[in-house]
Amino acid sequence: MSSFEMSLGRVGDATTAILVGEIDSGSAHQLFAVLVPGGQMLIDLSSVSYVSSSGLRALLLLHRQAREQDTRMAITGVADEVRFVMAATGFLDFFEIAEGVHR
Amino acid sequence: MSDVMSFTFSDTIAGTVSRHDPVGRAFGLVTADGREFEISLAGDPSAELLRNLQEPYVDASGHIDDMLEAGRFLFVYGVFYPEGSPPRFEAKRLIFMDGKAAEFRFEEKNWWVDQLEKIAGFYRQAQFGEGPVDFAGYRTEIRLGGEKTTSHVQETDTISRLVYGMASAFLLTGDETYLEVAEQGTEYLREHMRFVDHDEDVIYWYHGLSVNGDTEKKLFTSEFGDDYHAIPMYEQIYALAGPVQTYRITGDPRIRRDADATVRLFDRFFLDREQGGYFSHVDPILMSPDHESLGENRERKNWNSVGDHAPAYLINLYLATGDRRYADMLEYTFDTIVERFPDDTHSPFVQERFHRDWSHDTTHGWQQNRAVVGHNLKIAWNLMRMHTLRPKDSYLGLATAIGDTMPAVGSDRQRGGWYDVVERVKDAGQEAHHFAWHDRKAWWQQEQAILAYLILHGLTGREDFLRDARRAEAFYNAFFLDHDEGAVYFNVLASGLPYLLGTERLKGSHSMSMYHSAELCYLGAVYNNLLISGRPMDFWFKPHPDGFPGRVLRVAPDLLPAGRVRITEVEIDGSPHDDYDAQALTVRLPETPRQVKVRVRLTPEQAS
Repeated sequence: MSSFEMSLGRVGDATTAILVGEIDSGSAHQLFAVLVPGGQMLIDLSSVSYVSSSGLRALLLLHRQAREQDTRMAITGVADEVRFVMAATGFLDFFEIAEGVHR
Repeated sequence: MSDVMSFTFSDTIAGTVSRHDPVGRAFGLVTADGREFEISLAGDPSAELLRNLQEPYVDASGHIDDMLEAGRFLFVYGVFYPEGSPPRFEAKRLIFMDGKAAEFRFEEKNWWVDQLEKIAGFYRQAQFGEGPVDFAGYRTEIRLGGEKTTSHVQETDTISRLVYGMASAFLLTGDETYLEVAEQGTEYLREHMRFVDHDEDVIYWYHGLSVNGDTEKKLFTSEFGDDYHAIPMYEQIYALAGPVQTYRITGDPRIRRDADATVRLFDRFFLDREQGGYFSHVDPILMSPDHESLGENRERKNWNSVGDHAPAYLINLYLATGDRRYADMLEYTFDTIVERFPDDTHSPFVQERFHRDWSHDTTHGWQQNRAVVGHNLKIAWNLMRMHTLRPKDSYLGLATAIGDTMPAVGSDRQRGGWYDVVERVKDAGQEAHHFAWHDRKAWWQQEQAILAYLILHGLTGREDFLRDARRAEAFYNAFFLDHDEGAVYFNVLASGLPYLLGTERLKGSHSMSMYHSAELCYLGAVYNNLLISGRPMDFWFKPHPDGFPGRVLRVAPDLLPAGRVRITEVEIDGSPHDDYDAQALTVRLPETPRQVKVRVRLTPEQAS
């Protein structure tokens, strides 16, 4: 069983979601709990060590759901390995990549 | 409510001339179900000859009396007047199928080839204008005349269907304008719509893109109401239609790899290994058919998920490769169809939707307990193709049973043509299967009827099947060709007049985009010429040098009985080439560093 945790916070007007661990078939569905309608949303992946294909698909659907709810969503802290997988599958193009979370 | 017709109305009658009275200005016309109408010519009708797409109008008004020979088939549009019983019918427009009474213009050798070329020209112009082919400018939504709208959407399936049509146009004409579109479209799909899942070693295809200037947003899951937020098998199947038809021509090994990886997707995630068949949807994250997010699509199977593999890509993949694995998969899908779909005790129409355990789903969405007439015909058509590859009594039996049953329940015996969606079961007191929404006729269902009855006749020799094929071809060619704007109409009213409201005005949508109209032209030409009339045909290929394994080009135009056609001539880049197996329908390609253009003449056995 993979380990996965997430915590929500706020930075200015934006809701932040810090994800920790592996996003795979076991944890992918939990991502949808982070979404808050309207406003801005920053997904921090700096503590995510692995994203499986089902995790990528979940991120993509999260992005779509955010769009439908008028939530502006960005991701940050994409590790090189995860960035490589997202780039290779074309997923990176979907997302707004933010510089980082200023805590 | 009055029980007497007391008003005038206009309508079409399709039938065969039984008698003609030039002095009395009238003739008799017998419908497909044997009812005779007295047709008055006193209303001074116009008359015309059937014309192919964008051919000029050919007036025959001055020859009506000469042409109304007994036995001739024609369409008559006119007005019913409530004057007597039966009401008086005055003709206003006659459509003859040919100058000669016993002939049909759509059986001319180049009828379907010419039609396909016109359709391909329409879509080439609509999508890319006079300039170079650039799929960045492709749009799914195009209007009646081919103009683009404000929509920025590029759907995977519509590109694939356009590619299918363009590849088919090259196969029949050798015009590289169309191959260029097919190859570039295939490349665009690979670059923009393909997801390579390295974890699972499969490929799946995005629903589409929304393009705005230099930015594109991928649309991962279906945007259609039936399938929203799910990955429907149907879309994945049709994503392969165009690339695989292109593969038949070029042998591009990348297409083969993509097709194999998509078939692995079907095997891994859609196949029900316990109870058989393929699920219609999987959820977009876990790729599971039983995830609760699927709602009414959870653990469901349907016609599309089981039956659409064969016509959309799998037969063509087999034709291009001869690979036994594809033949096995075809056999599996057809065995599933003959085992699960017939439902004679309840309805003359097959059952199309199922739960996981194959119990009937009669409450799903719009379908409820309704039949899509064209799906029944599609089953008959494709069973006959499969019966050629691996003959089984069960295939032939179900195909001919559908062929025998459908005209009375799914076609319009008064006006010609085939209906859309009807109730599978008649309620007490109902004489006909009632229409789900309307009595209009869609172009793709006419296609299924034409191909079903052509191949049923071609392989069984039964003349009644030829009569039904001709009636279907006549209705389609008389009423679906858009001589004003180009290509074909989506829907016509029962009488044959085009229905041009709402989305049915559009010519690029997910079902319209050149797939069915091109498939009809391609196979209409093949069946009419090679199976029925015994006339040779030329086919064109342009293989890549690293393409087909062993440099063996397979040129069978469809699943035809062994020995029914043979190769009689091959040219490569314009020069004769004699390294081919005439019976096996294969050509050994020369070793070259570049693509070569191959023309192959196929000659039916009865033509020698």
